[in-house]
Amino acid sequence: MAIEKMALVNIIGRFEDLDETLIRCCDSGCFHIEPAFKNEANSTIKLLNEKNPFGVPLKEFASLATEMGIQLTETKGTRFKGWTAEQFNELSDNIDGEIEEKSKEKQRLAAEVSELEGAVLQVDHLRGMNSDFSKIFACKHTACRIGRMPADNLAKLQYYDQTFFFVPFETTRDFCWGMYFCAEGDKELVDSIFRSMFFERIRLPEYVTGNTDEALKKLDGQITEKKAQIEVLDKEISQLAEKHDQTVLEAYTALKKRYDIFELRRKVGAVKEKFYIKGFVPKKQADKFTEGFKDMDEVEVVLLPADADANITPPTVLKNGWFTRPFGMLVEMYGLPKYNGFNPTAFVAITYTLLFGIMFGDLGQGFLLFLGGLLVGKKLSKQAGGIVTRCGLSSMVFGTLYGSVFGFEELLDPVYESLGIDFLPLKIFHSTSFILLSAVAIGITLIVVAMLMNIFIGFKEKNYEKAVFGANGIAGLVFYGSLVTLIVCKYIIKVELASGAVFALLIAIPALCIFCRVPFSIALKYKKWRLSEEEEDMTIGGFIVENFFEMFEFVLSYVSNTMSFLRVGGFVLSHAGMMLVVMTLLDMSATGVKPVTLIIGNLFVMAMEGMIVAIQIIRLEFYEMFSRFYESDGKAFEPVNVSFDSDINI
Amino acid sequence: MMDNFSSNATTAKIRAKYAQLFTEEDYREMAALRTVSEAAEFIARSARFREAFTEVDPNTIHRGYLEELLYRENFETYIRLCKFQGLDKEPFFGFLIRRSEIECILSIINRINSSLDRTYLSDLPGYLIKYLSIPVMELSNSQTYDELVAGLKGTRYGKVLKKIPVREDGNADYTECELRLRTDYYEELLEQADKEFTGGVSDELKTMILREIDCRNIINAYRMKAYFGYAPEEIKRRSLKFYGIGKTNMERLYEAADAETMMDMVNHTIYGKNSPDTDNIEVEINSVKIRRLRHYLTGSTHAPVALYAFIQLCDIDVSNLVHIIEGIRYGVEAAAIEAQLITL
Repeated sequence: MAIEKMALVNIIGRFEDLDETLIRCCDSGCFHIEPAFKNEANSTIKLLNEKNPFGVPLKEFASLATEMGIQLTETKGTRFKGWTAEQFNELSDNIDGEIEEKSKEKQRLAAEVSELEGAVLQVDHLRGMNSDFSKIFACKHTACRIGRMPADNLAKLQYYDQTFFFVPFETTRDFCWGMYFCAEGDKELVDSIFRSMFFERIRLPEYVTGNTDEALKKLDGQITEKKAQIEVLDKEISQLAEKHDQTVLEAYTALKKRYDIFELRRKVGAVKEKFYIKGFVPKKQADKFTEGFKDMDEVEVVLLPADADANITPPTVLKNGWFTRPFGMLVEMYGLPKYNGFNPTAFVAITYTLLFGIMFGDLGQGFLLFLGGLLVGKKLSKQAGGIVTRCGLSSMVFGTLYGSVFGFEELLDPVYESLGIDFLPLKIFHSTSFILLSAVAIGITLIVVAMLMNIFIGFKEKNYEKAVFGANGIAGLVFYGSLVTLIVCKYIIKVELASGAVFALLIAIPALCIFCRVPFSIALKYKKWRLSEEEEDMTIGGFIVENFFEMFEFVLSYVSNTMSFLRVGGFVLSHAGMMLVVMTLLDMSATGVKPVTLIIGNLFVMAMEGMIVAIQIIRLEFYEMFSRFYESDGKAFEPVNVSFDSDINI
Repeated sequence: MMDNFSSNATTAKIRAKYAQLFTEEDYREMAALRTVSEAAEFIARSARFREAFTEVDPNTIHRGYLEELLYRENFETYIRLCKFQGLDKEPFFGFLIRRSEIECILSIINRINSSLDRTYLSDLPGYLIKYLSIPVMELSNSQTYDELVAGLKGTRYGKVLKKIPVREDGNADYTECELRLRTDYYEELLEQADKEFTGGVSDELKTMILREIDCRNIINAYRMKAYFGYAPEEIKRRSLKFYGIGKTNMERLYEAADAETMMDMVNHTIYGKNSPDTDNIEVEINSVKIRRLRHYLTGSTHAPVALYAFIQLCDIDVSNLVHIIEGIRYGVEAAAIEAQLITL
């Protein structure tokens, strides 16, 4: 239940081995890459930021597949191993050559359709014009331009004294479509004026004739005709595609891998003709990883301790046993611990399972949860399934203690009677106070355990403020423990343990330590007397005010965190209460409907109560316990890999 | 107090918009692009500019129009934020319009001085026309400085420019015009911040404005020292007479023996702390500025403060984008482009 030890890996080699090195890093499945250097403009050592040569052939093959109607799927094969971008280009050209004629014809037709559709769009914007286009363009002494310009610039037109006029046809939010006329002799000057106002000229095709309506009708007819021709060509191309689909798929898969690997170069450093890769591997896999490069003479793999480079933080991998592993998901949800930090998964696994069982105790429902967990683990998520399975088992155990099976509270009574156990099953509505007090007791125990863990972590990190003087350190533990003992002895057990003065001392001294935790820890660490670590000039007044409010917050958090565990007891009662409602409904139902009422009632309680309990325990874990000892400032371990994807986003 | 609460929605909106500004990672990704079209497409895909680029084809867009669209989006974001809860009724919130007016007037003066006849009309950003209070298009046709001043008669700018002596060639000194117009602008802005708001809002606004002026003064002083070799007295004369770090401190910077000494001294002021390792004064000073603006934007609950800080951050964001576009256009290496960007 710790954190996986890492090794810092430096890989140095010659550029000709770079691709193979990166491929092997990916294939190892355990290499987490880090940028080799910080990219700075004037530095002689730079990260590689070259253009990916595999981008072009990858796009080519993707378009080839689209052209031939081939669905891109991952296809394994070795015939393209070691191919260069040029070889891939050549292959795509060869395949393309075979379908070129038909494809070109199709493209030509598609381009024509697109042009015609473009023309329709443009002509559509000119609906205000009823004259024949060809007549306008045939004018000898007048130049005319059709296009669009930013609508914002329209207002400027009247301030030019050159002889031109602009006829607007349609104005959208950003652009105004229209045409301008000017004398043939002023054409260049007027063109430059319009260009400066970002006028985008549209060249209408020669085939657009007649007025707007006539032109649109003609264009629509032409589009329909050309689309029919494209359909015929598509059929012919798909016949050719069947011949080449395997090659295209294999080449695309290989190319995608090469492309992704080349992309990793952005994190590779270049020093003269050598490359430099930096990253991490789990220590237990380090030798196997190094082994993978043994046959590459020019590539040197150097293993260093994980903390050898102060500029990069090692990533964190939680090391968990079979029981605790699924709960790693909850820890990751909160945030990973830093490398060398404390892995709280075991703590979460135990407390989560226990609390769930207590709050959702039912033998029958627990069994269903267990089965559901197995199903979820197989079909959906292994981790979520694992958590549900364990919670189900815990629910069964506590359900047996409560004597509850699908809401039937008396079903197990004969079993206990035959065994001669008279204090079980625990009748929930007969032991309300016991349940609530037990819930608070569980809370106190968990808070104390959280504090003990904090003390352990504090000493491990040599952080005395955290371990000794903090609100969750030894001082906090003594303060909280004394307070709890005093209250329990005085009001619950009604026993006088010691004099009030002793307790006052046990509370006052730790309180003083917490109040002065910063100066005390500085004194212990640096043998100096300072009120604050960061700001040397903190005044005594400022120190008192700041720490007074912090003390207030600490004491409040002890009380609120402890009381927060009342919800554990609350949910025990709520679960039993909800099942009582189901049982009442069952009694009221007709005999034939009873099984349906029982099933729906149980499923409803399981779904609703189950989810609420799961969420409430997460809340208890994160707020009441994690906040006392856990710091989540770790970085996830992300091994480099290549993944197949049919969508190219280059 | 009620005013403060009533503009909370604007503050929340500004913070949401702030999240749409480009990040360092976005800049890095954009700087690695090869063509202006790719850059345009990258910008068009962003949440901040998606709406502004709906009718634009990134493949054919003119670079000039691309840049104008970026500036337009900044301006329109400002207009939308002001109108959202009717903030534009307060004169203070006209600050960006007044600043734009000054930019236009200065551009016209520059054109007149360089005898570039009428060209400003083409360069005048079209989106500004309907918001400006001065007849900017008529003014664009001014052939002489006197004509310009006559066109501005009755406006605040007219009064300021009238006092500037005209040289023998009929033109006025551009630097003098700029200094006086900006002095008048900041004077009015500080007065409005003082009168229209109370307590913390007023204080925060004034501090922010004074720091903006300080940054401008330091950058200008450095340039005057490093590139033109101006004497301290001349620098003092050409600088704005408002001080965030105090007159004495600022004048001490002006009096530094050379540009390098001045930068060393700047590094011991609030404008030098934690600045990135760069030899570009603008990057250095503005990086510190960004940190402070972000602090105001995320920390203040007052809409005027958040808006003023946000607009400046938007300006820096767009200037970075324009810088990248220009870098891509001239084939500058990605790392070199990144080094010139103003980031934290």
